[in-house]
Amino acid sequence: MTDLLTTYTATITFDRFDDIRAALFDPNLSRTFDRRSYEQGNIRDGIVSIAHGATHRARRRIENTQFRADVLRLYERELFPKVMSDLLDVLIDGDRVDLFPIGEMLSVVLAARRAGIEYDPSSLDDLQRLVHHVDLFSQGSAILDARDPDAVRAAVRTTYEEFARDFVRPAWERRGEIVAAVRAGRIPESELPHDILTVLLLHREDPQLALEDDGRIVREVATYLQGGTHTSAQTLVNSLDLIFAQGDRAAATIERVAADTLFAQRVVQETLRLRPTTPKIKRRAETDTEVAGTKIPKDALVVLDVVTANRDAKLFGENADEFDPDRSIDPAVPRWGHSFGGGPHQCPGRAVGGGFPIPASFDVDADHVYGLVALEVQAIAKRGVRPDPERAPVRDTRTERFTRWLHYPVRFERRTAEVAPGR
Amino acid sequence: MGEPLSRVTVDPDLCIGSGECVRLLPESFRIDERRGVSTPQPGAMAADRALLEEAAINCPTRAITVNDRVT
Repeated sequence: MTDLLTTYTATITFDRFDDIRAALFDPNLSRTFDRRSYEQGNIRDGIVSIAHGATHRARRRIENTQFRADVLRLYERELFPKVMSDLLDVLIDGDRVDLFPIGEMLSVVLAARRAGIEYDPSSLDDLQRLVHHVDLFSQGSAILDARDPDAVRAAVRTTYEEFARDFVRPAWERRGEIVAAVRAGRIPESELPHDILTVLLLHREDPQLALEDDGRIVREVATYLQGGTHTSAQTLVNSLDLIFAQGDRAAATIERVAADTLFAQRVVQETLRLRPTTPKIKRRAETDTEVAGTKIPKDALVVLDVVTANRDAKLFGENADEFDPDRSIDPAVPRWGHSFGGGPHQCPGRAVGGGFPIPASFDVDADHVYGLVALEVQAIAKRGVRPDPERAPVRDTRTERFTRWLHYPVRFERRTAEVAPGR
Repeated sequence: MGEPLSRVTVDPDLCIGSGECVRLLPESFRIDERRGVSTPQPGAMAADRALLEEAAINCPTRAITVNDRVT
């Protein structure tokens, strides 16, 4: 058996909604296609995304503490609105801008905080360097769909070194001192920073976590930085792209987004359904198993066609191919379909980016979490965003994932969120 | 006669502390932050059976089981 699985005993594709759900929840299907060490070429060695079984569960137990509802509310009600408004005032420096890097910089601020990265918040240069690292880490996370995997591996390895030196090590030293002080009883546990790096350092002696290698901690922190940034930025751009594709109705939709946060959230969840960040989820059979009546042999590649399943007319209506944020859906079916995955490997940041599920009644209580992307789309809408008729958007062709963009030029009617006089 | 009480358990070896059950039934489940796993609360036994079953179905690791309580 090879440690890098590239030849499969079978390739089995599911495209029905319920079958995909069954596959996602099957504990025998992993994301572990590469079992090599980092030194042997596995740029994702040891990270939670490709861990499986007991190690994966132990890691998720400590990392999920950073995604509790009260933390999400703190982020989206107190921290993010001010950060986002200040940043947009700086980043929208003319009436023509590229939306994708703006989305990345908005998202990286809080993703860095959650990951445990320290940077100078007043430095656009620091933010841009972080976004550059995120771009490389994103190519690494999509290595199974990369057109040139060896080039991606080489670039990501270089980026890890710079990222560790410039961003992780300084944060690690400070957190290491705080963890030591807590253990010695000199300061209370409440003084611990609330981030991924801190919980990794606090618990790394637990052998189940498999964190004895410093490089694994760096890569884990990078995973959360990337996961909290790239997907959000792509979803922001895809949301606007789907709105602009409405033609004459787009301006009215932008107005609704600006005025109604729950509608903005429905726009985001509808966008996720139609434009999943990972259009085809891939799993490896760790052992012989059976999903929805289909026998799957050990070391088979299982492909979950999320794009097709998310457009099932029986679940999402006869107009399932269309962008309709107001569609009525059975409350048992997530409005985002399978776009956050599911089961043990479900995206841990689902509620951060997409918010809580929306009730069928569209009535939400005071504890509702709308998700950061909804707030971003709304803030952009409040500034009067519209397409740039002179510059075409550019898709990211380095990957086979059709939902990724490199550049998305837009224009703004206003540089701030203030509504212009007379409107 | 009222609804039969439920016997609710969470397998701590399977649970990953996603908090899905807490979001759905905050009175019935709580995360033990020291262990990072969900624990059923006394109120769970009298909670709405349909919601308990929804929590079990949506648990990412299928760590929750709901049965009739045998008295």
